[in-house]
Amino acid sequence: MAQNISPEQSGGAGGSSKHNDDLLPVKDNHAVSKRLHKELMNLMMANEKGISAFPDGENIFKWVGTIAGPINTVYASQTYRLSLDFPNSYPYAAPVVKFLTPCFHPNVDLQGAICLDILKDKWSALYDVRTILLSIQSLLGEPNNESPLNAQAAMMWNDQKEYKKYLDAFYEKHKDT
Amino acid sequence: MCDYRALWSDVVLIFPILDGKYPVKNVDEKAYENVYRHLSYVGNIDRLTAIIELETESIARNILAPKFWKHFCLTSGESSSPQHKSLSDSYAIGALKDTNALFSHFVEAIEELYNGFQCLQEMKSRLMQLSKNPLLSAKLKSIQTTLHIAMLAQLPPTFNSIVSDFYCLHFRLFTKDSYQASTTIDSEVFTDLPCVGCNCDVEQCCCVKLSEMVKSSNFKLFELGLIDRLAGSALTALIKLKIKEHITDTCLGIFDRSHLKQLESWINDTVMTWLTSIFTAPKSKKDILPEKIPDSVQAFKVKLTYFMYETFAQNVISQFFSIIIDYPDSTLAIDDLRICMEKIDMRVYLTESLRSSLEARILHPGVNTMDILTGYVAAIKAIRHLDSTGVILEIVTAPIKDYLRKRNDTVRRVVTALTEEGPTDLSEELAKGEFVKEGKEAGLDEFSNWENWEPDPFGIDPNILHINSSKIIRSADIISMVVDIYGSKELFMVEYRNLMADRLLSQLDFNSEKEIRNLELLKIRFGESLLHSCEVMLKDVTDSKRINTHIHGDGNCNESPLFDISALIISAQFWPSFNKESLQLPEEMENEFKKFTSAYESYKGNRTLNWRTVTGRVQIIIEIGERVMEMTVPPTQAVIIYHFQKKNVWTLEELSTLTKVPQSALRRRISFWQNHGLISETEPGVYSLLEKESEKTQFEDMNITDADEEDLESAMASASDQREEELQVFWSYIVGMLTNLDSMPIDRIHQMLKLFASHSGGVEFTQDELKHFLQRKVREHKLLFSGGVYQLAK
Repeated sequence: MAQNISPEQSGGAGGSSKHNDDLLPVKDNHAVSKRLHKELMNLMMANEKGISAFPDGENIFKWVGTIAGPINTVYASQTYRLSLDFPNSYPYAAPVVKFLTPCFHPNVDLQGAICLDILKDKWSALYDVRTILLSIQSLLGEPNNESPLNAQAAMMWNDQKEYKKYLDAFYEKHKDT
Repeated sequence: MCDYRALWSDVVLIFPILDGKYPVKNVDEKAYENVYRHLSYVGNIDRLTAIIELETESIARNILAPKFWKHFCLTSGESSSPQHKSLSDSYAIGALKDTNALFSHFVEAIEELYNGFQCLQEMKSRLMQLSKNPLLSAKLKSIQTTLHIAMLAQLPPTFNSIVSDFYCLHFRLFTKDSYQASTTIDSEVFTDLPCVGCNCDVEQCCCVKLSEMVKSSNFKLFELGLIDRLAGSALTALIKLKIKEHITDTCLGIFDRSHLKQLESWINDTVMTWLTSIFTAPKSKKDILPEKIPDSVQAFKVKLTYFMYETFAQNVISQFFSIIIDYPDSTLAIDDLRICMEKIDMRVYLTESLRSSLEARILHPGVNTMDILTGYVAAIKAIRHLDSTGVILEIVTAPIKDYLRKRNDTVRRVVTALTEEGPTDLSEELAKGEFVKEGKEAGLDEFSNWENWEPDPFGIDPNILHINSSKIIRSADIISMVVDIYGSKELFMVEYRNLMADRLLSQLDFNSEKEIRNLELLKIRFGESLLHSCEVMLKDVTDSKRINTHIHGDGNCNESPLFDISALIISAQFWPSFNKESLQLPEEMENEFKKFTSAYESYKGNRTLNWRTVTGRVQIIIEIGERVMEMTVPPTQAVIIYHFQKKNVWTLEELSTLTKVPQSALRRRISFWQNHGLISETEPGVYSLLEKESEKTQFEDMNITDADEEDLESAMASASDQREEELQVFWSYIVGMLTNLDSMPIDRIHQMLKLFASHSGGVEFTQDELKHFLQRKVREHKLLFSGGVYQLAK
């Protein structure tokens, strides 16, 4: 198999091996992409309401995710796009997840970075794309105000009515982005 | 001072053309002397020469040529379309005279022209004599040239038809002997038929006379040097026509004989001899040796041979469809065509004509898929024989493949043909599988086999070659070609599995030896892995028999059974999915099945059974009134009649809730018993048991549907149902990708599916198919399509 031969040796074999090299720079990558393929399949088959994700182009290591704001929260009826970047060491290291859609939330900064324990020190190889997306979805409704990234949002959170009002204005402002 | 008047009369006597006349009279030497003396005295010999030359030209232009052509114009005016009449094979009686009249016109015209020519020739020689200057002859234009110029300048457009009439007759005269030889019997019976040569009654046959006339005319034309100019094109046209006729007469519809030899010798013997006889002077006719054949005839021969091949090839090609259908018997015709193709380039014509005839003959809805397949296989064989490289084959069969791909029963038909009893082309091919495989391996080894390499045939658009696949595919065997219709083996194997499952389920006493043999043959061809599940299926069947005997033998488990059960235990993973019909068994029956299940569980440890109650056979004995019926029926029927034991009248709804069979299906099942006269539909939707045989109601008679269909129904989910399930998988991927990536064009969707979705079972999905699928979703308002991109509908 081509992926078992080092790039130097397989160089003479021509175009096909080059293609493989691009796709799979190291041997481990194959296992990772295989796992991601499998996750994708499970996700597609589960067809869960409110969360979804798909590779963004031919690279299986970069995904785009979509979550709907949880019902009965201020975020209901909003849709959020996220980017998921999987490292080569996935699933032993957590993917980098960011909001693409601007999100006014105590644990999300204005660049979209998310402060969520399972994406940082509490990461485990047992988590997958589905659980990540579900966690983020529930984070929207239940923020961790102890360690806010967005102090303003954390302060406003207690007054949900006011918060909602501000949120709507916020989205009106960022409608185009 | 001389007597000019006398001199002039002498001059006119010598050169009557100066007076505008040309019949020549003999003149004695004295006149020449006289004229010469006087003229040289005056020194006017050169002038006279010039005058005479001018006169000659004007005679040729103004008198000879118009006169000659007038013959043609006149006749063509008289008979409206001489060409048409004379060329058609079936001479109308009225046209007979016309033709002969044309013929004599021609002879006359030539006669006249010849006389004129000779007279002019005479003038020239006299002039030479007079001038006594040997250099003069070089200065003078040859009379022949003069005449040619004059004649050709006034060429009337219709003359060719007359000339060809003439030679047509000549040809008939010439071939009369051989023609009569070939049709002796006929001519004996119909003695009053006109003579083939001259179209007169046999008694008054004037062939001999005509031949004489023709010969002399020919000779005269030859002398005039006009024969090539005048008759050349007419002759070519005529001979081409004759060749065509000859080929149609002798070769049409006969494929089991080689015609080329016979045609070649016909050209040589008949046509060439005839031509030679025209183009050589009559004297040498007796001893024509090959080297004496003039160049013009040689050139003719090359042209005609080429034409012969071309016509023949066209003739064969136009019938190529019939040749394909007759294939093993039509080998010789194909051999002939192959020889022709070596000599002339007919490939493009062949592919075009064959494609269109295939399209017209077999690629339309009126033809059975099986017949198309037979045609396809025959075409493969025949064209292989014609062109071993397979390039033509590929081009010609492309439309068939495209068409077969559109038919939904193709796969099933192919698989049936592969495994059916009795000799079909495909099963024979399959049987010689190993042999083909050896050949294939040799083909792959191109490097060691370089000496046998042959370039791709020429004359085919190289683009097509580039698009199309490598040599290996082109040299593939017939089964691969057939399987290649869909581009993948998997589809065929899936269908094979379905058909096999059907067979195994419907014929419980199946012929395992034959199945195993087929399976082994297929394995050779398609590889073990694809057919693994089929193997498991066969093993299931044999295992089931063993388990049945074991459970039946174990008396402890099943005491006093109501009825015997023998189960077919199948490994669901390896069998194709079943259709979704269901059937609720009556309680007593269900208990028996439970007993069997527990027996199996105790025998097999960790396993249990899921019963599929719809499929199978039930042996029942029905005792009703006076009648006793013993029969084997499908379970649903058995359950229906079982329920009638308790109650004589059931409504459709009651039965449906009891058996969990949908009403429409139930109605069809009940019709089985209606056919057997056991149940009748007394009111719509109400069924009652018939105690006596003849109690059929009228209402029923009309409503009984054909129960035979029942047996043909497949227990398996159909291929299209399975495909639907696969498409459903793709649909969830498409939804996923459009949810996250908003909108995408079709080729990107296709690419993404190939990249990410094909892992779920290696299913193939062409872009065309995808397009249909997406369009369907658009119609169902699940997708939006605008500006070339697809979006999820909100």
